[in-house]
Amino acid sequence: MLSIRLRKAFPDFDLDVAWDSREPVVALVGPSGSGKTLTLQCLAGLVTPDAGQIVVGERTLFDADAHIDVASRLRRLGYVFQGYALFPHLTVGENIAFGLRGVAKTRIAERVERISEWLGLQGLEDKRPRELSGGQQQRVALGRALAVDPDLLLLDEPLSALDAPLRRQLRDDLTRIVREWAKPVVLVTHDVSEAYQLCDRIVVYEHGRVVQAAPRSELLWQPASETVARIMSIPNVLRGTVVKATPERIQLIWRGQALEAVNSPARAYLPPPDSPIAFFVRPEYVRLIRKDRGRADPAHHMNVMHGTVVEEADLGTTWTLRIRLDEPGPPAQGAFDLEVEVPHLVYEILGIDRDRHWEFSIHRGSIHVLPG
Amino acid sequence: MDWFPVWLSVRVSLAATALTLLGGVPLAWLLARKVPRLKDLLGAVVVTPLVLPPTVLGYYLLVLIGAGSPIGRFFESLGLELAFTWRAAVLAAAVGSMPLLVKALQAGFEGIDPRLEQAARTLGHAEWSVFWRVTLPLAWRALVAGTVLAFCRALGDFGITLMVAGSIPGRTQTLPLAIYDLVQANRMHEANLLAAMTIVAVLVLLLGVGRIARVRY
Repeated sequence: MLSIRLRKAFPDFDLDVAWDSREPVVALVGPSGSGKTLTLQCLAGLVTPDAGQIVVGERTLFDADAHIDVASRLRRLGYVFQGYALFPHLTVGENIAFGLRGVAKTRIAERVERISEWLGLQGLEDKRPRELSGGQQQRVALGRALAVDPDLLLLDEPLSALDAPLRRQLRDDLTRIVREWAKPVVLVTHDVSEAYQLCDRIVVYEHGRVVQAAPRSELLWQPASETVARIMSIPNVLRGTVVKATPERIQLIWRGQALEAVNSPARAYLPPPDSPIAFFVRPEYVRLIRKDRGRADPAHHMNVMHGTVVEEADLGTTWTLRIRLDEPGPPAQGAFDLEVEVPHLVYEILGIDRDRHWEFSIHRGSIHVLPG
Repeated sequence: MDWFPVWLSVRVSLAATALTLLGGVPLAWLLARKVPRLKDLLGAVVVTPLVLPPTVLGYYLLVLIGAGSPIGRFFESLGLELAFTWRAAVLAAAVGSMPLLVKALQAGFEGIDPRLEQAARTLGHAEWSVFWRVTLPLAWRALVAGTVLAFCRALGDFGITLMVAGSIPGRTQTLPLAIYDLVQANRMHEANLLAAMTIVAVLVLLLGVGRIARVRY
């Protein structure tokens, strides 16, 4: 559906990416300055790549070797710019109708009305963009892009200009609109959860390169590398040493603890013994062991460790605890070794505010090994 | 009291402003594009009328349009004599006012968020349509400011006009030249009247347009 190979060199930055997608909705995720917006600009024909090829559906929009470079205005795509870039001198209605060229006046009015209704903009047609709230501006930008019924929709940080409470609501709305529209979409964001909610496939960028492109769930549970895990701001990305690796299990040593992790036979990652290995543990999957139920049972509790809560933060419905292992030596993550998340209720029942020393376990399926 | 120079100056300044707009708008647009080398060279050339002695400008303009030059001969064959006619005064005033319009408008164009023009392109608009429907409307205050400045500058041109149009009473003697002649002839009352009128007219124009269009110069 979408196939992209791009090379573009600047004095201080170069972009060299290739990815394709059969899924309709793709997110480009990565830190700022990693080339995500530049990719959109190349897709839209606003920046000409030095080399490469862009194919949307059956149409080749750019092919350096074949000297194809379709002009922006003929590419039939909708671009929602970061900050929206609405025309300040035109009304909402005129903004939405801006791309409807060579269409009869009555048809234009009809189309603007349909779009307004779909996006919940009725009654705002005669207002200027500066009179609108951030959420309304976002929808006008979306309406302007969709009014021309493009083959591809490009969204550049569509939610970043909004306040947090509104953002949540508009994220749901945007998800609905994107699903209803049902044509290819490329979304640029630095927010992984936004990408996860809106998109089927996620392409991770760093320094002008693609570090992973995968369906969203695969990316969430099997990041291809430590770099990807860090870009996705996964907590508890740790480094240990391999003891033994089989297609089913990987045994490793971390901070003096022998840990066992599940390996993926599909991936067949078999690092040799004594080699360094990166892995991550999701904070919500670390289990504190209750002290009123006797000793830890090795059948139920694997990868058992002991440590002290050295920092904590109340996040409302959950608590984040930062635990330092009893093991001597410098902690893995600055002042602590492991970040653990517990529900508020659990925090109260266990009396964690008084009792700071805990035994805890991590299921082997919750230790995710990151291939080097 | 001879009012001819006043009416001549108004007509010449209007024509010169129109000419300045015709050449200055595309020039300002070109300068606002990110074309590195062209921008530096053209940018320098455009401001020269502000800094060169009017006699130098007038001299070269005269060389360019004089009866002996190809341009002069071409217009003469059409029955339009240029040198030492009111047409030369228009050209002289246009040369003097060009930099004011171009600089004001260039700043206006450069102040436009480039994404607005890009948005128009992705929405199917060709370059000329982007210019008419996005660029120019968004720079209209700069356009008004530049036009008013250009008109006022045209009204006041002395040196270039004298070089290429002369100061022929009843034919090419514009307001500033008439004031000079009156002072030379020691007709101070009349000179005073015309000078005061000029100041008042220019101030009213600048302030009036500034207020109505909320323009800052």
